[in-house]
Amino acid sequence: MTQVETHTSPEVGGMGHSVKRKEDPRFIRGKGEYIEDVVLPGMLWLDIVRSPYAHARIKSIDASAALAIPGVLAVITGKDLEKAGLHWMPTLAGDKQMVLPVDEVMYQSQEVAAVVATSRYLAADGVAAVEVDYEPLPVVVDPFKALEPGAPVLRPDRGPDKATNHIWHWESGDKKAADAALARAEVTVAEDIYIPRIHVASIETCGAIADWDPVREHLTLHMTSQAPHAIRTVLALVSGLPEHKIRVKTHDIGGGFGGKVPVYPGYVLAVVASLTTGKPVKWIEDRSENLQADSFARDYHIHAELGATKDGKITGLRVKTVADHGYTDAAADPSKFPAGLFNVITGSYDFPDAFVEVDGVYTNKPPGGVAYRCSFRVTEAVHAIERMVDILAHELGQDPAELRLKNFIRPEQFPYKTPTGWEYDSGNYPAALRKAMEIIGYEELRREQAEKRARGELMGIGISSFTEIVGAGPSHTFDILGIKMFDSCEIRVHPTGKVLARIGVQTQGQGHETTFAQIIAEELGFPVSDIAIEYGDTDTAPYGLGTYASRSTPVAGAATAVAARKVRDKARKIAAHLLEASEDDLEWTNGKFFVKGSPDRAKTIQEIAFAAYTNHPQGMEAGLEAVDYYDPPNLTFPFGSYICVVDIDKGTGQVKVRRFVAVDDCGNIINPMIVDGQIHGGLTMGLAPALYESITYDELGNNLAGTFMDYLLPTAVETPHWETDKTVTPSPHHPIGAKGVGESATVGAPPAIANAVVDALWHLGVRNIDIPITPWKVWQILHEKGVSASPPGSRT
Amino acid sequence: MKFSGTVDINAPRDKVWAFVLDPTQVGSCGPGVESIEVIDATHFKARAKVGVGFITAKFVVDLEMAELTPPTEAVIKAHGQAPGSAVDATATMRLGDRPGGGTTMDWTADVNIAGTLASVGARLIEGTANKMIGQTFDCIKAKLEA
Repeated sequence: MTQVETHTSPEVGGMGHSVKRKEDPRFIRGKGEYIEDVVLPGMLWLDIVRSPYAHARIKSIDASAALAIPGVLAVITGKDLEKAGLHWMPTLAGDKQMVLPVDEVMYQSQEVAAVVATSRYLAADGVAAVEVDYEPLPVVVDPFKALEPGAPVLRPDRGPDKATNHIWHWESGDKKAADAALARAEVTVAEDIYIPRIHVASIETCGAIADWDPVREHLTLHMTSQAPHAIRTVLALVSGLPEHKIRVKTHDIGGGFGGKVPVYPGYVLAVVASLTTGKPVKWIEDRSENLQADSFARDYHIHAELGATKDGKITGLRVKTVADHGYTDAAADPSKFPAGLFNVITGSYDFPDAFVEVDGVYTNKPPGGVAYRCSFRVTEAVHAIERMVDILAHELGQDPAELRLKNFIRPEQFPYKTPTGWEYDSGNYPAALRKAMEIIGYEELRREQAEKRARGELMGIGISSFTEIVGAGPSHTFDILGIKMFDSCEIRVHPTGKVLARIGVQTQGQGHETTFAQIIAEELGFPVSDIAIEYGDTDTAPYGLGTYASRSTPVAGAATAVAARKVRDKARKIAAHLLEASEDDLEWTNGKFFVKGSPDRAKTIQEIAFAAYTNHPQGMEAGLEAVDYYDPPNLTFPFGSYICVVDIDKGTGQVKVRRFVAVDDCGNIINPMIVDGQIHGGLTMGLAPALYESITYDELGNNLAGTFMDYLLPTAVETPHWETDKTVTPSPHHPIGAKGVGESATVGAPPAIANAVVDALWHLGVRNIDIPITPWKVWQILHEKGVSASPPGSRT
Repeated sequence: MKFSGTVDINAPRDKVWAFVLDPTQVGSCGPGVESIEVIDATHFKARAKVGVGFITAKFVVDLEMAELTPPTEAVIKAHGQAPGSAVDATATMRLGDRPGGGTTMDWTADVNIAGTLASVGARLIEGTANKMIGQTFDCIKAKLEA
């Protein structure tokens, strides 16, 4: 295992130390404070009536039986909200979404009415008693059928000039050049690849407590949000409440993964209910509501074509994609990127010409999509290019590793400009792949595979050499609803040398209380144990855009380092005053300033902190604090190479992941243990869609994965042993050379697994299997190819 | 979901026709039916408790005898709702004389189930529906042949 460099003692615990997580004592003792733990005096409960139909007209809503239940205080309908103009709200993608419908419901389990009661149980009883009369309407489930002439137009509210289910068209790259490259390519391969709809399925569902104080005219919104500041601003703009009279507070969050970025109707309904009753109102989703109604991820129908020379040098890529967005585009993408950063689809490979186009489409499904631990649409991009590269290698009869090594962007080509316009900051792709091949014993595995194939056994080896794109983002290009995607940190050093730092990003389990303290420890020499990190309270934390798309370390981490350096600059002035020396004559090392050539004439950072309040130079402001709002000059580009070995059971179609080696490069590492944890979690979340998870709908638009019985999350039983290692290629533009790691493994793992399965079956004529690769799919293929070991006469 | 079947009943066609067109008679054979309310000659309302796996829903179902060609063919339409679930169905029944006495009933049903029952019970619903239909016809046959 590669060791990580450190510059501080283990006691200080700066970058590179595997400091134990400061948040874990409360988590492992069950002492975390999640939204459900928060109980306010006089609090009411809210529950939601949901539509059984995927598309229907609401003929009437009769709340009389519900209101007759003692303890049921109010039933809120779309018509009630319409009076206040609150029945629609904006989505983060600039579309609009119903808070509650007035005329039509657009997906199964959509919110139809809200019941407010004195207990959770009475609220549920009230929901069961609300009678809604529906007239079913034709349902549009398939995005391709949604685009056909004559398909029911799902969003007539967009006006007569937009009488179509087509939302937007987005493209990137040079079409003419890509067309020409493919036309003259000696070899072309083409494939349809579907990345199914999946759900983040956080163990903590979404919830909120809205607490309107009618006397102070002040709203506190306790909620599960990955982006509390953005929520506050949107709430102020939509509701008309002054922004300084709104406080958003997040508490501990039990998993976000992108699913807690959007604004869900339940949050708004809790606010309306609190404004109406003048009491705190709590809303917590149950599991099925979470799986059926919250924003989904993925759902991209991709057609990709790759051109190459006969000896396997890639020359061009053309991609056409249909993106199913449900009934509204509620993707949490930056404004200028309706398909996220999908055009990173040229991947880790050096070729001149590419063209990518995506069309967004409305269907009768829940809105989305969220970037489920994948930056913005990077999972879809990486899956497509890594599958295509494997298909090309097999088609040419070349080894997939050799073909990758032949086409990688070489280390000396960085910074590398891609044909779709990104500038990759740094990378060493051959080193990562070679390291993974060495760890797993690639050559030996290929020999074993050949022997097994000769015996009729099915074994496959799959590679994924992905490039991530994270850290949104530079303000010239990146905003959400107009708010630039900077992030922030404010550091206050107390007189006794203890530190309080507040950050603009949220934590949903990443360990920010530890890693952000380590950045400050690295820069200022205070021990991690002396540094408290706060976040998630908009009254105290500096403004920031929140935690998603692996942006915490690249953006807020940079802000933290820069703020710490500002503190150090002031500390230098104080030290010069205390040491009666010129600032230029001071040197900084190990948490102290000393006079050059006289290491004994030194002041520790703690001594300087005390002096900042007790003996600061005349004319200088007292105190020792700084704030930084960091606007990154570029994104960061973590990368890695994963190799997966699978064995396929010819009787059952079961795919067993025998080995999985992940070599990641996330630039400089803050905490190796936490990075490993992120990768282990990410690999498991990559295994999930590769083999298990998928949200499907029947022809009536019923969600067929509305419980954890039908939506299979891998547990320890399904999860193989992960073997991890790393290379370290710092980001040249990031203050601490870090790139971020939160999503690399989720992005990189699925194609490694899919490639391994197809590798095992290619000789039988199998070119592609869409994920999730379930035993049923494989079993059918084995039967079709006549190699199944299941008993004759088995049902196909 | 589409279902169909044929049932031979050892009773004359007029008697079978009268039975299946009488809401209270045929309703008493519906599994889980708790009450039948006759609205008029062709409309009635049923309240029924339906269980699929561990999910139970109390449906209120509006039924309409939509097309009647006595004593040969009937089309019955149903629209039912329960909290979080809904069902819309069209059933067609055709009666014929059996050679040597008795009646043959050919039936088809097109059933659309929406909401929690369809979503959560998807894997079980076809089996449950088949079982319920079987119970209904067993009951009709038993009562008519008694």
